[in-house]
Amino acid sequence: MNPLASLSKEMEELVDSFMAKAVVGNTTVGLTQYIFFMLVAIAILLIVMFTFKKKQSQSLVPQGFFVNGMEFLVEFARDDLCVSLLGKNWKKHFPFVSAVFFFILFNNIVGIIPGCHPGTGTMGVTAALAICSFVYYVAVGIKRMGVLGYLKSMAPAGLPGPMAGMVWVIELFSNLLRPITLAIRLFCNMFAGHIVMGTFAILATLFVEPLLQGFSAVALGQAACSIFWILLLIIIYLVEILVAVIQAYVFALLSAVYIQLVEDE
Amino acid sequence: MGVIGYGLGVIGAGFGIGLAAYGATTAMARQPEVQGRLFTVFILGSAFVEALALIGFVVTLIS
Repeated sequence: MNPLASLSKEMEELVDSFMAKAVVGNTTVGLTQYIFFMLVAIAILLIVMFTFKKKQSQSLVPQGFFVNGMEFLVEFARDDLCVSLLGKNWKKHFPFVSAVFFFILFNNIVGIIPGCHPGTGTMGVTAALAICSFVYYVAVGIKRMGVLGYLKSMAPAGLPGPMAGMVWVIELFSNLLRPITLAIRLFCNMFAGHIVMGTFAILATLFVEPLLQGFSAVALGQAACSIFWILLLIIIYLVEILVAVIQAYVFALLSAVYIQLVEDE
Repeated sequence: MGVIGYGLGVIGAGFGIGLAAYGATTAMARQPEVQGRLFTVFILGSAFVEALALIGFVVTLIS
């Protein structure tokens, strides 16, 4: 019996299980599995942050693994995301950039746990985050330069007349594409990574199945193959943990870069 | 057919990430002191390239 025969059917089931389904209520009013785990991630984030704040204020010197680890994370968000890009303006934008970073990080990490779904694995959440980022940096630009000044600043100064008009139109389009690419990058990374992990898990089970039905030399050989699939699954799982952190970093970093572009004009 | 299309699309993304890693390693070898900042730019560039490949992957699965 060929263990790969039922692969396409299993794959369809896997992709189907990734489509949004209601766990509470129905799809109009209620929670899909993604939004449910997003709320779980928010709850964990709030608990962690408030315990951190409470424990940190107890003593002047940070003590213990938890407080030191959280301080390292917050300092990473401050130094690598804000200070290195925004320079002296970092204090103004630190709340937004670090909030985006920690929200996505906790969502991705919750999604990595087997049986859970990442809150960022659905287009709705990532699009909302990207629109927040878009509105934030446009608002910063308008506050600094006024509506007309912001529109004018999209084209670099010092270009001859017709050239400036053309560059302005191109820049306007790239500006409008930014939230779309932000949303699609995060969604595709989480969705594709979890599909790949699911595929390897399915392959591992498919190769063991003949051994459970009856003992034979061929079935034993196929079961030995599934060890290879499980090894691959573990490697992909480790890569996914890396991807979860990197995507949170990239999203926050790009938000900071876009803010820096309007701050530097 | 979708799988073949995805394979063709990934060629470009593979070249892109390879070029980014090549540039980053050469620059780091020449000037080790800017390693930290180069790494940020490298991750940023690979994220842009990788997104294209992943869009292809998701479109393959959905279509």
